[in-house]
Amino acid sequence: MEHKKFSKLELLKLSLKYSKLNLKCTLEYKFDRFFTTLAVFVREMVSIAVMYLILTRVISIKGWQMNEMFFLYSFLFLSYCIFIFLFTGIRDFDNMVYTGELDRYLIRPLGLLYQVISARVDYCATIGHGAVGVILFLSTYNSVGIDWNFRNIVYYILALLGGVIIQTSLFMVSSCFSFWAVRTTNLRNLIFFNSRRFAGYPISFYPGIVQKMLIFAVPFAFVSYFPSEYFLHKPDLSVFWHGCLYLTPVVGIIMFTLVYIFWRLGLKSYSSSGNSMY
Amino acid sequence: MSLIEVRDLTKDYRLNVKKRGLLGAVQSLLVPEYKLKRAVDNINFSIEKGEMVGFIGPNGAGKSTTVKMLTGILSPTSGSIMMGGLSPHKDRKKNASRIGAVFGQRTQLWWDLPVADTYDLLRYIYRIPEKKFEQNMEMFNDLLGIQEFMSQPVRQLSLGQRMRADIAAALLHDPEIVFFDEPTIGLDVVAKEKIREFIKKINAEKNTTMLFTTHDMLDIEKTCKRMIIIDQGTIIYNGTVEQIKERYGRSRTLVAEFAQKLDRIDLPAGVELIDQKDNKKYLKFNRDEIQVSGLIAELTSKYNILDLTVTEPEVEAIIREIYEGGIDFDKGISGDSKKSLSEQYCVPC
Amino acid sequence: MYRVDYFAGVINTLVMIFVNIAIWKAIYEADDNLGGVQLKVVMTYIALAFLMQCIFVMEDYFIESKVTSGLISSDLLKPISFRAYVFSYNVGSSVFRVLMQLLPTLVISIFLFKLLPPFSTEMGILFFFSAVLGYLVLYCLNFIVWMSSFWFYYTFSLVTIKDALVMVLSGALIPLWFLPQWLFNFVKLTPFESIFFTPISIYLGQVPAADIKTAIIKQVAWIVVLALAGHLLWNAAKHKLVLQGG
Ligand SMILES: Nc1ncnc2c1ncn2[C@@H]1O[C@H](COP(=O)(O)OP(=O)(O)OP(=O)(O)O)[C@@H](O)[C@H]1O
Ligand SMILES: [Mg+2]
Repeated sequence: MEHKKFSKLELLKLSLKYSKLNLKCTLEYKFDRFFTTLAVFVREMVSIAVMYLILTRVISIKGWQMNEMFFLYSFLFLSYCIFIFLFTGIRDFDNMVYTGELDRYLIRPLGLLYQVISARVDYCATIGHGAVGVILFLSTYNSVGIDWNFRNIVYYILALLGGVIIQTSLFMVSSCFSFWAVRTTNLRNLIFFNSRRFAGYPISFYPGIVQKMLIFAVPFAFVSYFPSEYFLHKPDLSVFWHGCLYLTPVVGIIMFTLVYIFWRLGLKSYSSSGNSMY
Repeated sequence: MSLIEVRDLTKDYRLNVKKRGLLGAVQSLLVPEYKLKRAVDNINFSIEKGEMVGFIGPNGAGKSTTVKMLTGILSPTSGSIMMGGLSPHKDRKKNASRIGAVFGQRTQLWWDLPVADTYDLLRYIYRIPEKKFEQNMEMFNDLLGIQEFMSQPVRQLSLGQRMRADIAAALLHDPEIVFFDEPTIGLDVVAKEKIREFIKKINAEKNTTMLFTTHDMLDIEKTCKRMIIIDQGTIIYNGTVEQIKERYGRSRTLVAEFAQKLDRIDLPAGVELIDQKDNKKYLKFNRDEIQVSGLIAELTSKYNILDLTVTEPEVEAIIREIYEGGIDFDKGISGDSKKSLSEQYCVPC
Repeated sequence: MYRVDYFAGVINTLVMIFVNIAIWKAIYEADDNLGGVQLKVVMTYIALAFLMQCIFVMEDYFIESKVTSGLISSDLLKPISFRAYVFSYNVGSSVFRVLMQLLPTLVISIFLFKLLPPFSTEMGILFFFSAVLGYLVLYCLNFIVWMSSFWFYYTFSLVTIKDALVMVLSGALIPLWFLPQWLFNFVKLTPFESIFFTPISIYLGQVPAADIKTAIIKQVAWIVVLALAGHLLWNAAKHKLVLQGG
């Protein structure tokens, strides 16, 4: 059979096909998946509940009120929800190496990263996180005083997508280690989910070292804090460079580029060593 | 030029030398120390279009590693593979649409969905024209009977059903070349037979080139004319199945049933009594040294014999002897058996 | 690899304490005597809560894996009682955590966060006693959730929802005295309060000496009630196992 390159449209159609099959898998266990989704939702609501309980008591922290804090938090959930919807495979990558699924992708006439990304969709996590994000957003977007004009809407979308790319890159770093048969999943979850939890509060609450970490090492500040400051202009922004407000997509793109180079390196190593540890 | 040309192919795995303790773990992360393990050692062979070749060898011989290099999953450490002008690793995507692979130990089917869904997905992945897809489905159904479990989720299929479904999945896009890595593993006699028949039929009808690894010699005997034996990463035999019987299956066993139980019998030199049961005696000899007719004449003249049968060794037994080191190839055929055989053999079957 | 996980656990606990204290410091910036409780007290509360959490970790899918793999039937035939086995397994790993995780974390946190000492020596001893009871309350509660694996194939959802409730209502993340009155009154009627809040409050001297006895009796009562419920569920589960032939 003659090999033609796949066109963008064909790839998109194929992705849809994959998502449909994933949906079918999810619906195979409707009952169980429903409760899993509910559990994810409840689990994620814990930090929201704690924030709610504190703020009903103290009204505002460092000038931040409840609706503003929730607006900030909504960035984390919405971008994570999009990340999971599009890139579940990157989260589960170590498992693909472990089970040999990766070898199967390598004998198909499609790009590896494309297949890793398309092959899985975790609908439970998408909906569980997404529901929290949507609830937070809908209950605050009106009351935090944002003029939803064209410019702001464009900014919002770009910031959200930038946040998605940043989180994708963070997950992908850990995936790359799987190519060398080094398991970093536990460590990754620890770093990722804790950082994410911190980023649920304005980073100005934290001592300098944590702020620096959330800007330079695990740049969650660009996922939630800076985008919400763009809209809210709280006084605590003054200690940070103003340009940070616009950097989210840039940070995302730079991170992804670097991680992609790392990924190519890893793939090269994988094809010379196979899935040896497992 | 053959369809598949393998030249001086070598594969080294790097094994991490793990150090003990926390300090050791940190150390091996920072300054990893490796040991090289040569899984495939400088092998050469070629396969013609439409040929069916058995690829056998003991556990850990390097079969799967070779198949992984042939399918483009792994890159060779040195040497080259050419598959109709393409390198499976470097031109992975291009090459992938021409090949199919079945890894018996794993499945490529979606675990929670009916087989039909995976086929439908493959139709898109390999861009199989509707008409061809339907023709193939029909043909596979006739030969493998996949229709009967088409709508069951894969996790509910028996091993035999799953394997049939997997083989059909690998052949759906009419690949020019198909690699089978242990396609009959864990199957019963009937299921194995069905799969052999199927593979043969596809080979005959579509002129598909096939290479398959197995531990069941019957698979090879029934499907392939040629086989390649690999041991510790090197090819130790490359030739027809017939030839190996011819060359190494020189021993014969004569089973003689005597009229009465004899405590001892006189045997000519070179004949060995290897077993006895009731009135039967099993006599082993080398057919180059002793003629069967002569031996029979001698025995019948001395004793009262009811029944006589001569058996050749099974290929299985020969192979076992080879694995155990009982047959020395280097002295067996010629000093340079590895090379000469791979070059002398070029008749497609 | 295991050792790395323990090491990571130490760091994790320290970071969680550090960050939560930072948040509480930010809260106290506006009002340095929130509801009559000093920042120092809240800081100690938070640190203790996270230190306790790093030992109050239990193997939530142990029974589920036994049930789904069918190994439970052969485990039931063993001379040692299955429930004693599960209990000692969990206690054993908790004791191990005390040595591997708690001690290093504790030493570092005392230096780093300037924790308050127990309100008095007596309260210190009572805290230890009450913390053990808190562990047992959590264990009995967990056991009930684990038992559900005999009826549902996966228990991920139930376990996760249970964890979420414990986190919010037992005072693991927020001192319960900051809760709205109605919610606080409700929590007092549940076993959650007995897990983290009661021991820590005793340590901090927040429970009047006269009420300590009641608080501890309440913990014991919850252990009895939950253990009984667990026992009934266990019998039902065994019955179910016999009926279905394992
Ligand atoms: N990813 C890997 N990393 C390191 N060594 C490996 C790896 N895969 C295989 N090996 C080693 O390479 C050698 C060849 O293995 P291979 O899997 O190719 O054997 P095989 O002939 O397929 O055996 P079997 O009949 O058991 O399937 C073995 O010694 C094996 O231990
Ligand atoms: Mg193998």
